[in-house]
Amino acid sequence: MSLKGQYADLKASFAAQPPDLAKCGRLLTQLKLGLIQAGLLLPQGDLNAADLVVAREILEIGAFWSIRTQDVPSFDRYFSQLQTFYTDYATLPPSQHEYPIRGLHLIRLLTQNRIADFHTALESLPAAAVESPFIAHPVNLERWLMEGSYAKVWGARAEAPAAEYGYFVDSLMGTIRNEIASCEETAYESLPLKDAATLLFFTSQSELLVFAQQRGWEVNLTAGTITFAKKGEETMDIPKERIIAASLLYARELEQIV
Amino acid sequence: MPDIEMKPAKKDEKDKKDDKKSDKKDEKKEEPPKPPPTPVQEIKYNVVLIERGVATLEPRFTNRAMRTQTALRKRLDDVVLRNAIDEVFVKDTPTKQSLLSWLPEPPPPTEAMEVDSAAAAAPPAPKVPVPTAEPVPEVDMYFRLLMMHHFETSPSTYGKALDLAHQTVEKMQALNRRSMDPIAAKVWYALERAYELGSELADARPLFLAAQRTASLRHDDETQASLINRLLRSYIHDSLYDQADKLVSKTTFPASAGNPQFARYHYYLGRIKAVQLNYSAAHANLQQAIRRAPGATLAPGFYQAVHKLFVVVELLMGDIPDRGLFRHPVLGKALVAYFDIVKAVRTGSLSQFQTTLANHAPQFEADRTFTLIVRLRQNVIKTGIRRLSLSYSRISLRDICVKLHLDSEEDAEYIVGKAIRDGVIDGKIVHERGWMECGGLKGGYGPEVGEVFSRRIGYCLELHNQSVKAMRYPLNAHRKELAAAEGAREREKELAKEIQDGDHDDEEMGGEF
Repeated sequence: MSLKGQYADLKASFAAQPPDLAKCGRLLTQLKLGLIQAGLLLPQGDLNAADLVVAREILEIGAFWSIRTQDVPSFDRYFSQLQTFYTDYATLPPSQHEYPIRGLHLIRLLTQNRIADFHTALESLPAAAVESPFIAHPVNLERWLMEGSYAKVWGARAEAPAAEYGYFVDSLMGTIRNEIASCEETAYESLPLKDAATLLFFTSQSELLVFAQQRGWEVNLTAGTITFAKKGEETMDIPKERIIAASLLYARELEQIV
Repeated sequence: MPDIEMKPAKKDEKDKKDDKKSDKKDEKKEEPPKPPPTPVQEIKYNVVLIERGVATLEPRFTNRAMRTQTALRKRLDDVVLRNAIDEVFVKDTPTKQSLLSWLPEPPPPTEAMEVDSAAAAAPPAPKVPVPTAEPVPEVDMYFRLLMMHHFETSPSTYGKALDLAHQTVEKMQALNRRSMDPIAAKVWYALERAYELGSELADARPLFLAAQRTASLRHDDETQASLINRLLRSYIHDSLYDQADKLVSKTTFPASAGNPQFARYHYYLGRIKAVQLNYSAAHANLQQAIRRAPGATLAPGFYQAVHKLFVVVELLMGDIPDRGLFRHPVLGKALVAYFDIVKAVRTGSLSQFQTTLANHAPQFEADRTFTLIVRLRQNVIKTGIRRLSLSYSRISLRDICVKLHLDSEEDAEYIVGKAIRDGVIDGKIVHERGWMECGGLKGGYGPEVGEVFSRRIGYCLELHNQSVKAMRYPLNAHRKELAAAEGAREREKELAKEIQDGDHDDEEMGGEF
């Protein structure tokens, strides 16, 4: 069966140093076609356990491959296909790649700030999973992000448990910078350039200046400070329309009661 | 005779204490038998109710029969069931045969005690009119339901319960009678329980899904409500919150469903919403669940479970639950661990929070609130910062770090910055000097007062509307009023006519003069 040969080929070329990503992509496309013909891509009912394990492994390699080629939508597709294997075929021998992939999925949700989905996904994991370093990493990141301990998130960059995490961590840093920037806008009146650079984890001043321009901050180069424009004193407006609507609602309800 | 009667009477007293007190009272008002009815009598009484319900097309009677279920369930045994079947099914029909085939052969009359109680039950039997014809299929279903509950009490008969449940469901769907709906809803519950006891809950899901579709096509509200709850329960049991959420968004929970079903539904919704960080919606749902659930003493388990979640959600929203809640006789003991957490959050002490969390972790995991409680960590920090901002007008970041047990000054700066942005405190950081300056308090007379007020009014109005909906309107009661109104209209017409005639008279008279 050519499927087996291709599978071995894929495994070999993915494990090679450095992996031949272009070849993997070609093989994956062919293998997926093969899986569909064998009814293994979206398995239903009772199937041979060994076949399922192979199918699962192909999809797992596909998931890793998508991240290496920085194709996030493709990772999402592989992940949703894998979920069938992880949840509905829990009787299969557990895969050693399951937690890394789930962890990657969690980080991906974090980078998009989909916190509700993050918690839903986390809740469906068994309690033991949280002890795995692959899951613990995103869980910690989320906790620090929510608290505001951004320095810890920055520090955890290097501690990524798998090489694939690196890709997401970079985009996570972008999210964090924007978070910090919005905090600074409200919390400070002005900030020395040097300190702003440290707070935002910039190493050079030019990077900071570009970033400041994007956010529309006033930079005073001679004094070396950034001034944040106050977002105007909050106007104490009486929300007329809302009050009127509420009063009308009460009147109607009272009418019904009486 | 009194000697024999005393025993069951005492036992009844005990049963009543931990079960549906009010239902029993209702029943007593209707038919005041001096000694509380024996199980066989009660079953027969329920059979009569069900038959009346079917005959008058009034689900109320059937529902009343169903309400005694919880109390009755604990007193069932093989002999009681056999006797009841014997008495209700007079003729030897296939239905009776199939019912009896599920029960073990009657033991030889060595068990004098059992026979005695059965004999004691026999004399007052004529009180209930003995049905002569074959009872309606609903009665058959009722007995099957009773048997299922009985089988589910001991692990040795779990398999039997499951078989019986499957057969019953098939039969029920083939019959497709609307008058059977209230019983059908309970049968589904029994089926789920049978699966759960066999710890194969996930296998029942396709069955439930199919049945749910059928029920919604047939507008079988009772069954639909019951099945939606069954499904939600099984999803949440396996932590499949995604699927549960999708189910909720794709179905509409029938508005005519009973309160117990609504209470469950709201509880599950609350749980899903809490996991998705939608705390205010979760809070509203849990409040509904508490309000709709039977009283604290009737269903203590549910009451405690809802309150556990309720306390956590309230904390996550940044509120502190009422202290009186933890002194409630039913809740006090169950909520001890939660009370400790509340104390830790209230004082804003991270270290106290961590130790409490570690101490009670097994209980939180058993309650499946652990992940929710872990999320409270940020709330603890926020409360701490808020307390500091209230008591100091200016405080150095170093001190904040020490007081809140944070790891570094750098962290403290970010955390305070985030708190300011999120609107937890009003103030600013002066970076050059390394301190936080806190702004004055808000007046407390802004538009937010109106918002709080309108939220409360909304709650009261909804409570009123729900209670109006919950009231029962007897059929045809409006006929009388209609007749009266008709009469009034008639009189009015006559009057108008007379006046008209009178006018004419006047005119005529006027013409004459």
